[in-house]
This record gives sequence, C-alpha cells and structure tokens, in this order.
Amino acid sequence: MPKSKPVRLVDAHRLVGPVPFDDLPEDPRPEMDRLGIERAYVTHTLSLYSDPRAGNEALLEFDDPRLVPVPVVVPGVPGAGEPGSVEEALGWGARLVRLCPERHRWELTGPTALRWLAALGLPVAVDFEETSPAQLLTLARSLPGLRILLLNPGYRRLRAIAELMTEIPGLWLEVGTVNTQGGVEWLAERFGAARLVFGTGAPVADDCGPRYLLDHLDLGQDDVDLIAAGSLEGLL
Amino acid sequence: MILDAHGHIGSWPDFLIPDPSAEGLIATMDEAGIVATGISDLLAVGPDAVEGNRRAFAAAAAHPGRFGVWQVYNPHHRTPLADAPGAWGVKLHPDVHRCRLDDPLYEPVWDLGLPVLAHGQTDSPWSSPEMFAAVATRRPEVPLLMGHAGLWPYGFRRAAEAVADHPSVLLEICGSKMTGRWVARLAALAGADRVVFGTDACFLDQRVGFGRVALAPLSEPDRALVQGGNLARVLGPRLVHRIGGTSA
Repeated sequence: MPKSKPVRLVDAHRLVGPVPFDDLPEDPRPEMDRLGIERAYVTHTLSLYSDPRAGNEALLEFDDPRLVPVPVVVPGVPGAGEPGSVEEALGWGARLVRLCPERHRWELTGPTALRWLAALGLPVAVDFEETSPAQLLTLARSLPGLRILLLNPGYRRLRAIAELMTEIPGLWLEVGTVNTQGGVEWLAERFGAARLVFGTGAPVADDCGPRYLLDHLDLGQDDVDLIAAGSLEGLL
Repeated sequence: MILDAHGHIGSWPDFLIPDPSAEGLIATMDEAGIVATGISDLLAVGPDAVEGNRRAFAAAAAHPGRFGVWQVYNPHHRTPLADAPGAWGVKLHPDVHRCRLDDPLYEPVWDLGLPVLAHGQTDSPWSSPEMFAAVATRRPEVPLLMGHAGLWPYGFRRAAEAVADHPSVLLEICGSKMTGRWVARLAALAGADRVVFGTDACFLDQRVGFGRVALAPLSEPDRALVQGGNLARVLGPRLVHRIGGTSA
C-alpha cells in the first residue's frame, strides 16, 4: 500500500547561525528548499553558544515568514535574565520560546522560573538533555496549563518518554531523533499523532533521515499530516 | 542495487525496540527498495554469540536472498566461525566485548579471511579508527568495514584520514549522529568508493538510515556506490550466492 505523504511540512526545531564545533550551513533555507520543508521554527545559535540576548536580537531581525523565531528565555532575578523582564519577552510576539536550563545554568523548577513561565503563558521548547523526567513532572504539576515541546528525546529512553507522555497531557514530542525501528508508530499508537511533532535539530542533527521517514510512516494520511504540521499548530 | 551493510534482529537491554523482528525488517526493506541487509542477532553481540548466530542464520534461511549474516565473534568465548552459505562475514564489537580491535585474541578472525564489520568509535579504548589502520597494516587482505565511521561527528574526518592509506578499510555510515551532510562530506573526503551504506536496523529505524543516504546531497553515481556498489564489490561472489544465484 502506498504510504501517505504529508501535505504540508513544518520543521519545529531548526537552527540558524554558526556553530563553534563544525562548518555547517548557517542559513537553513537552501536545505529546507531541497527537502520540501515549507517553514521552520528557528533558534539562533548565538543564543545557544554565545550570548542569549545577542542571539535573540539577531533572530528577531529576520524578516522571512518561512523562519519563525523561537527566542531563548532565561528566567532570572533582575540583571540575571534574558530578556530583562517578562513584559519584554511578551513584546517579541513569539508563539514558542526555548528554555536551556542546563546550558544557561538555571533551575527549571525553581521559583523564579515558575513565576516567569506562569506569567509568559507561552508554550516552551526544551531539549531532553537539558532536563530530566523528574524536573518535567514537577514543572507540569506546578504549571498544569503549560504546553511543553520536548526536543531531541532520542530513542534510548522510550520507556521514560512513554511515562512522561502518560503523566503530562501538555507534553508534545519532537520525533526527529525517535529513530529506533518503528518508534514513531509505537508512540502514535499509544499517545496519538496529535502529540508528535516533526522537527530535526538541523543542521547539527540530521534532517534527511527524518524527512524520509515522514514519507514512509506506517500511518494514515491524517496522522502523517498531524506529525508534519498539524500537531505543532495544536501545541501553539 | 541497494544493500544495507549493517543490520540486526533481536532486542537490546538498554532501551525498547518496538519491532525487533526479521519480518519487520523485511517490510521496511521492501518499502525502501533494499535488496538485502547484512544482519547479526543482538543476542550474539551480547552474551551468547553461538545461539545468536544460529538465530541469524535461521532468519536468513527463512528469507532467502534478503539477509546476509555477519557472524559475531566473541574473542573471550572463541566463537566457532564458518565460511558457511549465507555468511557475509564476521561481526566484531570491541566495545561490548571489551577487547581492543587490534588485540591478538582476534587473530582467528583475520586468519579466516572473510569480510569483517566492526563497531568503530572515535576515542574509544576499544575501537578507535587508528586501530582499524593498525589491523589493516597487518592484514591488508581482509576487507574491513569501520562501523559508524567513528560514530561521533567530531571523529568522522579523523576516521577518514586514519584509513586513507588503507584501501581495505571502508567507512560504514550508520548511527544516530550521522547526517546526510556528513555522508556527502565523507564521500568527498575519503572517496565515494570507500563509503558504505548501513542503517543499524532494528537497533535504529531502517527508514531513517536509508533516508539519510537517499536524500543526501550526493551525485547519483556516488549515491549508487554508497548505497550498494561498494558493498557488492567487497562481497563479490558471496553476494551473488545470496541473490539466489543470479548476478546482482
């Protein structure tokens, strides 16, 4: 039986800018064109590998509807956060913000972060390597309305991920690194395709394999379309 | 002709593999147009090479022409090996077995002369690319596939350079850290005739590994070499035997 092809394709997790450890494409658009990716939610690498503020400023200067900004938020007491206040973050008009508690050395479930995230009221993206199942459970229980997109969940922790998906209704999963045999179908069967989101982490991570997988999932057209673009809209 | 050099069946202890079956692998091979996959049973990579090898040969017999068997050699157990019908060669996993690739305990493998697929991991005390060069210097007659091309992105270039002067060593590209961009880079660095497609299925999803090469920014002649041409050259008549006696 021919596999379902996605009607629209949005990458929920992409980087723009240089990385310090490799010579990778800084502009994601040529690869997006080549792989048929309509839009991408992007974070600037300066925010990850240099200065969160500089990265956010560079990101927000992009004026291309294909590159949707996902600025980085660092919750902190005055003088320690990025941006300086919740109000400033709301002024960005972003639909999704990225949290890097490990990289930027702050407590995801600390009182400051909980106050910021409650006041922001925006969905947040966080890399699984930046947190832990226990922190995510605490975060979700502290802020039950918070919508979380878990980036780079990988394939070795499917059991822990399944527990999190069961316990946290507001948790969505980026599937670019869920690459053990049949892993995406296994998750879709248990938690529904509406909670699975296509994303790649490119150019650091691979986009070719996840792109091909999307065209060859053993799922129906509606589920493929959800993973390709619809689930992200549901999250946002 | 598309050939997956690096595959598995069976389960592995440190994570859930939703579909570890030979039948599931056949289904994805059919979907991707992969003619044959070289497999070892993950039980054989782990504690019981003899029983795992028996399972792998049984799977190959149940699906004629679709699987070649990489017999796992455990150097501590001195696993019996054979140039048996269905065998593509020998699989070594120096990291699981905690035995350096250049350890004399592997001499029976090199003496057999069959192609060898070995796990390769940059900066591992057991399987770093420099050990492949050391083995190739001693035993240049043995075709040697460096599994994962060094595994870590920071090591891909180093792997290509380490074996540049050892034409018996090929870079096999499966692994969760590999990208389509790096597949193309490795082909440029080492030569497309030194790069071999593998997926690590069912450990990893075969569709992801295949897509990484199918959509890599490669020329079509280079893609053909990577996807199967190079492995067919290494396997020679051994592959013809597996394709039901017809020339592949």
